[in-house]
Amino acid sequence: MSGASSFGGLLRFRTAVPRMAVGVAALLGAMSFLGAWWLIVALHVVAPIFLPSPATVARAFWTMCADGVAMPNALISISRVWSAFLLSAIIAVPLGILMSGYRIIGAFLEPLIDFIRYLPVPALVPLAIIWFGVGEETKIFLLWLGTFFQLVLMVAADMKRVPGEYFETAYTLGAKPRQTLGTVALPAMLPQLMDSMRISLGWCWTYVIIAEIVASDSGLGFVIWTARRFMKTDQVMAGVIMIGLIGLLTDQCLRLLHRFLFRYQSS
Amino acid sequence: MSNTLGNTGSMPDQAGAYLRFESVTKTFGAVPVVQEPFSLDIPAGQFVVFLGPSGCGKTTLMRMIGGLDTPSSGRILLQGQPVGGPDIRRGMVFQSYSSFPWLSVRKNVEFGMRFRRDMTKAQKRERAGYFLDLVGLSDFASSYPSRISGGMRQRVAIARTLAADPDVLLMDEPFGALDANLREDLQYELRKIQKKSGKTTIFVTHDVEEAVFLADRIIVFGSRPARVMADMDILSMVGPVRDETLRDSERFFHIRTDILHLLRGRLREAGQEGA
Repeated sequence: MSGASSFGGLLRFRTAVPRMAVGVAALLGAMSFLGAWWLIVALHVVAPIFLPSPATVARAFWTMCADGVAMPNALISISRVWSAFLLSAIIAVPLGILMSGYRIIGAFLEPLIDFIRYLPVPALVPLAIIWFGVGEETKIFLLWLGTFFQLVLMVAADMKRVPGEYFETAYTLGAKPRQTLGTVALPAMLPQLMDSMRISLGWCWTYVIIAEIVASDSGLGFVIWTARRFMKTDQVMAGVIMIGLIGLLTDQCLRLLHRFLFRYQSS
Repeated sequence: MSNTLGNTGSMPDQAGAYLRFESVTKTFGAVPVVQEPFSLDIPAGQFVVFLGPSGCGKTTLMRMIGGLDTPSSGRILLQGQPVGGPDIRRGMVFQSYSSFPWLSVRKNVEFGMRFRRDMTKAQKRERAGYFLDLVGLSDFASSYPSRISGGMRQRVAIARTLAADPDVLLMDEPFGALDANLREDLQYELRKIQKKSGKTTIFVTHDVEEAVFLADRIIVFGSRPARVMADMDILSMVGPVRDETLRDSERFFHIRTDILHLLRGRLREAGQEGA
């Protein structure tokens, strides 16, 4: 009776549920996915060469880690992602702040950036290869292209969202407009800014795989693509899962860092 | 209208004017915000409340003192000098986003002296301590604004502005977002602090009771069209002492009622014109 009513409570619209229920639900979600996967394979709905069982994929994952294929290639991908991302951020953050701080700079750059950011990165791969060959520059360039223009606009929006009262307060305390950049704008927008960067880091992961599939002889994208050529579906899936895990881990670490750095926000 | 609203005569002019509006108007684009030229002389140390409904231009007039908006015509003089852009001589306290969430209470107050070069770090710290004490927040010096109440956050902003030592204190409905009890407490404290510091203060509100409790003088604004309806010498009506007995007194009640009638009459007229 009471059980029924508390289960009903879990389905109440826009209402918080106990922490315990959240954990159980997450676990059930993951397990039902694995269960469905396993069931499809066990019932021979799809041939194993197209869809290997979860256990086979797990074994492939383990083998890839053990025989020294996964880690070096993962590190290569990670370093590509981070160098391109940092290169983006170093230019995008000051530029975005300037675009919003000085509206004329924004008016000058925004239409151009809006145009470029709608160009799909894969469409630019041929151009990148013509310009840079198939070396490391091509990959960094593609990743940078995919994130920079998005990030600039997000930074500009983060800056625009800083309440005018903060600036005006600083002015009436004797600050010159330029002085408010470091003392007001940056600290006020920092939590949002870090979220924007975290999101664009995620896009970097998307593009690094594309870049490595098209023009590379290393990295996780290359590993997956090579496995595909030999129809080693279990390795392809293991590689994909590894990318997902790295992304998840990075994201969680950055969220933790966010919570730590901006603990003044929560009550 | 009752006698409390009778024109109390203008305050001492010329020599006594510390802050002066000279035929100030303001138009944003094609929209007139302060249409009728506004003139006013404010002597040093006076607590002036701009009272009126939203859209009457009271906030704009105050922002122009702060240099955050510029008059379309006319000028504003502080000690005989026309005011320019915002600077440390005219401090402002807002209703929302008044304290910086990324700084501790103490750092917020020290921010008032952040851009002063004539003080050492130790001097700034000491002065911040004094004003924290004045607004009763010494025990919360190391807390962040998100951990303290809305009323405390407004006190942080007041302490920060006072620490900057401006000539004029500008307040834009600073207690507007607080609940009634807290509001009354803060009004009481603000009045005391203002008298103690002797800062010429312009306080904007639409709350009649708040205005009467705080003010030496109230400028009552009406909207549609925006204009000054009364210039009331509250100091000579109720005296300098402001406490809870005043709030319960008949005199306080009468002044409040008269102003309300004045404002409502205005609103009724505007309604009839509109119909």
